Amino acid sequence: MANTAITTGGAATRSPRRGYRREDGSLLGYAMLAPAAILVGILILLPLAYSVFLSLYDWKLLEMNRPKRWSGLGNYWKLITDDGLHNAFVNTVIFMVGAVTVELVLGFVIALAVFHMTSGRRLANAIILLPMVITPVVTALLWRYMLDPQFGIVAQVMTALGGHGGIDVWGSSALALPGLMLVDIWQWTPFAILILHAGMLGISEEQFEAAAVDGAGHLRVAFSIILPAIVPQILVVLLFRSMDTYRIFDTVFVLTRGGPGVSSDTLGLFTFRNGFSYLQMGYAMALSVFLLVTVSIISAFYIRLLRRRGML
Amino acid sequence: MSARAISRGGTRGWRIASYGMVLFFLAWVLIPICTVTLNSFKPATAIFTTTPDFSFTPTLEHYFNVLARGNFPRQYLNSTLVAIGTVVLALGFGTPAAYALTRLPVHGAERWFRAFLLARMVPAVSLVVPLFVLLQIAGLKNTLTGIVLTHTGFTLPLVVWMMRAFFQDVPRELEEAAVVDGASRWTAFWRVALPLTLPGLAATAVLVVFFSWNEFLFALVLTGPQTQTVPIGVSAFVGTVSVDWGGSSAAAVLAMIPMFVLGLLIQRFLVSGLAMGAVKG
Repeated sequence: MANTAITTGGAATRSPRRGYRREDGSLLGYAMLAPAAILVGILILLPLAYSVFLSLYDWKLLEMNRPKRWSGLGNYWKLITDDGLHNAFVNTVIFMVGAVTVELVLGFVIALAVFHMTSGRRLANAIILLPMVITPVVTALLWRYMLDPQFGIVAQVMTALGGHGGIDVWGSSALALPGLMLVDIWQWTPFAILILHAGMLGISEEQFEAAAVDGAGHLRVAFSIILPAIVPQILVVLLFRSMDTYRIFDTVFVLTRGGPGVSSDTLGLFTFRNGFSYLQMGYAMALSVFLLVTVSIISAFYIRLLRRRGML
Repeated sequence: MSARAISRGGTRGWRIASYGMVLFFLAWVLIPICTVTLNSFKPATAIFTTTPDFSFTPTLEHYFNVLARGNFPRQYLNSTLVAIGTVVLALGFGTPAAYALTRLPVHGAERWFRAFLLARMVPAVSLVVPLFVLLQIAGLKNTLTGIVLTHTGFTLPLVVWMMRAFFQDVPRELEEAAVVDGASRWTAFWRVALPLTLPGLAATAVLVVFFSWNEFLFALVLTGPQTQTVPIGVSAFVGTVSVDWGGSSAAAVLAMIPMFVLGLLIQRFLVSGLAMGAVKG
């Protein structure tokens, strides 16, 4: 890291390094850092502190200007005993584990396939990245039309094959959550592919040549050379996809609103609904804090693993 | 067969299988995109069929409808303004901060970077409720300023991390030489380091645009009828039991195209950018 010298001690006590005068740059440095730090403080830290504070009160959105009733840890007690939250939490974990597993495994397989291509790789990568840059709401629209039980392409194909049209995925309590996972997999497997592929390109040719001399087959190379070499990239995929699926909101809100019933409810949607539909702001704030704490645990786990490998 | 393919353990059979899998995956990626694009050019009679209809006469009526009537043009303009405002603020504040933390003697720079990383990890859902209340108090609810500010708060940490990686790639000697020649540290940043990171700056700007253009939750809660953005407009099509597939498809295509163009422009930086520089692309 470039800044090891700076982090070790007070600015005034150390001798100037690298031929600059230290006092000169230090003041400018703080002046250049301050605006960004203040803005992040106001827009991220302040709202967080505010939500912790307001989660200790019992109040409704419409009563913004009236004095709020102190409830101590009441909202947090409610959180522990809330069946709705329990359901949303289980759904979210299923969604996260299921979608991220498929994205990682499929991502590895396709990245490996792209890696073995001898031409057309640039074009393939250009097409693969497309889903990632689509607005999630638009992705939801694409899949609503794909899976429409009457006029969707899946239904059309099934009819052509002699069936009776498609299945109403979003109206089925058994299929709604898997359907939402499918949408996430469509949109984000490309992320896994491109990251893992970038990792594979970083492996030195000598390693492959050594394996070829040893007569290692395709699968041996994939599992004993490529896989261990891209562990950091795998961790990056796990970190970002776990965080994003854990707080999934857009596609769920647009496609199912958590339904039918609460069969596809998630933590993000549950929090949103308590705040803006039931107007239970105090409780919604407590849920926001719960979401933040749990997502921090997940990311801290992966970040620790990544730091141990010198990434991040 | 190239020597590289052999050394990677590739035999003819594996190579054919690889191409097959990639083609299959490309079809899986492209079919939904192509379907909605086709729908946007189909007359309604060709959309609502129980077997795929490819023998339709293409029409632009859906595009005329979407662009001439309703809220979509307004939403498109709002999204554009919000994206521009967010880029200006996030880069304007984030780039100097990144430079200060990589090159200037700021105490605890590494810790500052980590703090920005943590800020990036805060889920939007955790912030939307308190920000709703705070913006209401500040009188910024239902304004474009309010939505620009929230997007800026979310993208600033990304900018700091991206630009740090780009500034680290600038040879330190160039700035040192400028300072030895009598330039101030600010001049070394503004005239020497910044011009060298212009491609990185552009890539970072595009990533900020992606975030802002695609962001749904804040826009849903913090905007009013006059300040809605494109994702809100598209969600209205999906939410209702709308029969206007053509119109919504045209809106979807219009929302996708600028992102495709930008995504392909910064292809090289896209992956490492989305992973916040954790992976060199």
